Amino acid sequence: MSDVKCLEHQTLKVPYEILNKKFRGAQKCIDREVSYVQNAVADLEKTVLGNDVQNPPTVGTITELLSGVVEKLAALKRKAKESFTDEIEAAGCCKRRLDHLKEYCVKTNETAVNHWTKKRLDRMLVEHFLLCGYYDTAIKLALHSNVENLTNIDLFLVSRQVEESLSRKETACCLNWCHDNKSKLRKMKSSLEFNIRQQEFIELLRNNQRLEAVRHARKYFSNLDDKSEEQQKDLQHVMGLLAFQPDTEIEPYKSLFDESRWKSLINQFRQENFKLFQLSSISVFSVTLQSGLSALKTPQCYKKDGERNPDCPVCSDLLNQLAKPLPCSHCSQSRLVCSISGQPLNEHNQPLVLPNGNVYGENALKQMALKNNGKIICPRTKQVFDMKEVEKVFVM
Amino acid sequence: MESISNVEKELEKVLSKFSALSEHSQRTLCDLITQLQNLQRDLIMLSTSNQCQLSDIQKVILNQNIQKIRDIISQIASEHRDIHSSVSRVGKVIDKNFASDFDSVSNESFLDEPLKLQLLNQVIVEHFLRQGMLDIAEELINESKLDIPPEKKNPFTELNAILDALKRKDLKPALEWTKKNREWLNEQNSLLEFKLHRLQFVELLSQGIERQNDLIAYARENFQSLAARHEKEIQALMGSLLYLKMGIENSPYSHFLDPINWSEICDVFTRDACSLLGLSVESPLTVTFNAGCQSLPALLNIKQVITQRQVTGVWNTKDELPIEIDLGKKCHFHSIFACPILRQQGSENNPPMRLVCGHVISRDALNKLTKDNKLKCPYCPVEQNPTDAKQVYF
Repeated sequence: MSDVKCLEHQTLKVPYEILNKKFRGAQKCIDREVSYVQNAVADLEKTVLGNDVQNPPTVGTITELLSGVVEKLAALKRKAKESFTDEIEAAGCCKRRLDHLKEYCVKTNETAVNHWTKKRLDRMLVEHFLLCGYYDTAIKLALHSNVENLTNIDLFLVSRQVEESLSRKETACCLNWCHDNKSKLRKMKSSLEFNIRQQEFIELLRNNQRLEAVRHARKYFSNLDDKSEEQQKDLQHVMGLLAFQPDTEIEPYKSLFDESRWKSLINQFRQENFKLFQLSSISVFSVTLQSGLSALKTPQCYKKDGERNPDCPVCSDLLNQLAKPLPCSHCSQSRLVCSISGQPLNEHNQPLVLPNGNVYGENALKQMALKNNGKIICPRTKQVFDMKEVEKVFVM
Repeated sequence: MESISNVEKELEKVLSKFSALSEHSQRTLCDLITQLQNLQRDLIMLSTSNQCQLSDIQKVILNQNIQKIRDIISQIASEHRDIHSSVSRVGKVIDKNFASDFDSVSNESFLDEPLKLQLLNQVIVEHFLRQGMLDIAEELINESKLDIPPEKKNPFTELNAILDALKRKDLKPALEWTKKNREWLNEQNSLLEFKLHRLQFVELLSQGIERQNDLIAYARENFQSLAARHEKEIQALMGSLLYLKMGIENSPYSHFLDPINWSEICDVFTRDACSLLGLSVESPLTVTFNAGCQSLPALLNIKQVITQRQVTGVWNTKDELPIEIDLGKKCHFHSIFACPILRQQGSENNPPMRLVCGHVISRDALNKLTKDNKLKCPYCPVEQNPTDAKQVYF
C-alpha cells in the first residue's frame, strides 16, 4: 500500500459525491423537462386525432400547439445543456485532483517531491481545520498554499452557514439542507429533521404559543412513517411538555427546555454531514500524525532531559505529551547512534565504551581527545577518562 | 500509482459519456426543433387561412412527427439515466483503491480531551510561526481560543525577519544577531559569523576596483577577531584582491561568487538559531507527518492481516507497534538496543550487558545462557564469569 492510497480517499470521494449529486439533480431536471414536452405533445396529438366532429382541427390551432412543443423542446435543450455542463464540471474537479496526485507518482527529483509533500501537509491541515470547525484558518491556509481546488472547502462553507444559523436558533437553513439531501438522509435513517422539528416545537412552547405548537406537532409529527420506538418515546416526552412551564424543575422536561440542545443539534448536523460525504470524524491528518509519532517514539524520549534529542519530534515538549498514550516503535535489530554527534554507529564509526559504561562513537571520541590532549570528558557524567581506557563494543 | 490510474480510467469513461451525450442531445434537439419549425411554416404556407382544416396527409405527417419527438426525448432521458452505472462505478473504484477506514489505526485516547486538542493546536501554531506564516498562526490562535504568550511568538518573528533579509541578500540583521549571541556561537564553534563576513566581503569584491579601499577597511575592521580560527580562509580572501582589476570571475577565486553560498547561509543561520532556542532544525510537525506517511501504509497493511486472524486493532499490544517500520537514517534520533539473542528491545529491567569479550547481549539472555556460574559467549569462544559482564548505556 502506498501513502497516496492511504491518505487521499477524501480528496477524491468528496468530489465524486458532488458529481453523483449533480447527476441525480440533472436526471430529475431532464425528466421534468421531458414530461413538459410529453404533455405538450399529448395535447397536440389529441387535437390532431380530434374525434370532435364539431370542431375539427384547424391549421391555426395546430400551429399554435406546435409552437408550444417547440418552446418546450427549446427549454429541454437549454436545461440539458446546463445540466451537462454542470456534470462535466463536477467530473473535471475530480479529474484535476487525480492529476495532482499523479504528479507525486511521476516526480523523481527531490525538490519537486519535497514541494509536493509540503503542499500535502498543508492540504491535510486544511481538511483537519475544516473538521474541527476552524473555518477561517482553513481558508487562509488554503489561499496561502494555493490548494483551494484540492481541498473540500466549498462543502464546509455550506455546513458553516447551517451551523451559524443553528447557533442563532434559526432552523430554516438546516431544514433546507435536509431537503436537499433528503434521499440520502432517509437511507441513513437520520433523525436530524425530526430533532429540528422537535426543537421548533419546544421553542414555540417557550414563547407560550401553545396552540401554534399543537398545530406544528400535527403537521410534522403525525406523518412520521417509520417511527422507531425511541422516536416514539421522544415524541411522547415532547408532547408532555405541553403540560409544563419553561422554568419547570421536573425531568425530563427540564432538560428538554435546556438551551444546550441547540449545541447538540449542531453536533448532530456535523456528524450527519460527515457521514453524507463519507468523511470520518477523525481527520486523516491526526491519524497520520499518530502513526508517525508511534513510529518515532522510543523509550528514550521519556527519560530525563539530558537524554532527549532536540531534533527528535517526540522529544519536543508538546508532542511528547501528545504521544504519551501511543505505542512505541518496534525494533528487532539494534540501531545505534552516537549521542554526541548523532552519527550512526557502524563499521565506519565503531562504538566504544568508556569505563563508566557509556557508549559513544569512535569519531566523536577521537575528535574530543584531539582537543583535550588525549582526555575524554563523558558528556553524561562529566567524568574524565584517558583515550587509552576506552574499549570496543560489539553489537550484533 | 495503480490505484490512481484505476480511478482515472473510470472517470475518463464518465467524462467521455457525458460529453458524447451532451453533444448528441444538443444536435438532435436542434434538428428536431428546426424540423418542427419547417413543418409549421409549411402548414401555414400551404393553407389559405388559419381556419382551414387539416388534410389527412398532414395528419399523418403530424402523427409521424409526434412519434419522433417522443422517441427522441425519452431516449435522451434514458441515455442519461444509463450513465448512472458508470458514475457510481467511479465511487466504487475510489472506495476499493483508497483506504477510508482508520478506526483500527487510531487511538481513542489520542485526542479525547479538549486539552489534548489544544496541545495539538499549539504544535500547529508553532509550525506556522516557524515558517513565517504569522497571520495563519494568529487566525488559528483566535479560532481555537488558544492562549499563547507573546514571548513565545517573538523569537520566531525575529528569526523570520532575519531570514527574509538574508534571502534579499541583506546581511545586516543577521550580523547584528550574531553580535548579540557571539559568546554562545563561539562556544558552539559556529561558522556563522565568519561566513556572514565573508559574504559581505565578496559582495564588495564583486563591485570591482572602485571599492578597493572599502574592502581593505572592511577586512581590517572585521577579520582581526576571526583570524585565530580562520587564518587560511582569510588569507585566501585577501589573495583575491590581486585579481580585483581583471575581475574575480576569471580568477582562481571565482568560487567565492558561487550563488550557492547565499542559500547555504540561510541553512547555517537556521541551524544555529534553532539550536540556540533549543529547537529542532526541521519542524517537528513536518518530520512526524512525513514519518506518518511512511508508517501508515504499513500499519493499514498489517491491520488487514490481523483482522483476518480475528484479532482486533493494531494498537492492541499498547506498548509497541506490531511491526518494525524503518523510517530511514534521517529519523534515527535515538539508539535502540535489541538483544540479538532474544530479539527483544532492551529496557530498564533488561538492559544491555557487555561481556568481557566485548559482545553485547541483554541481561535476560545472559541469565538464560549462564550455566553453573559460567557463561560462554554466544559469538566467540571466550568462557567467562557472568558477574564480569558490565551494563552499558547507548
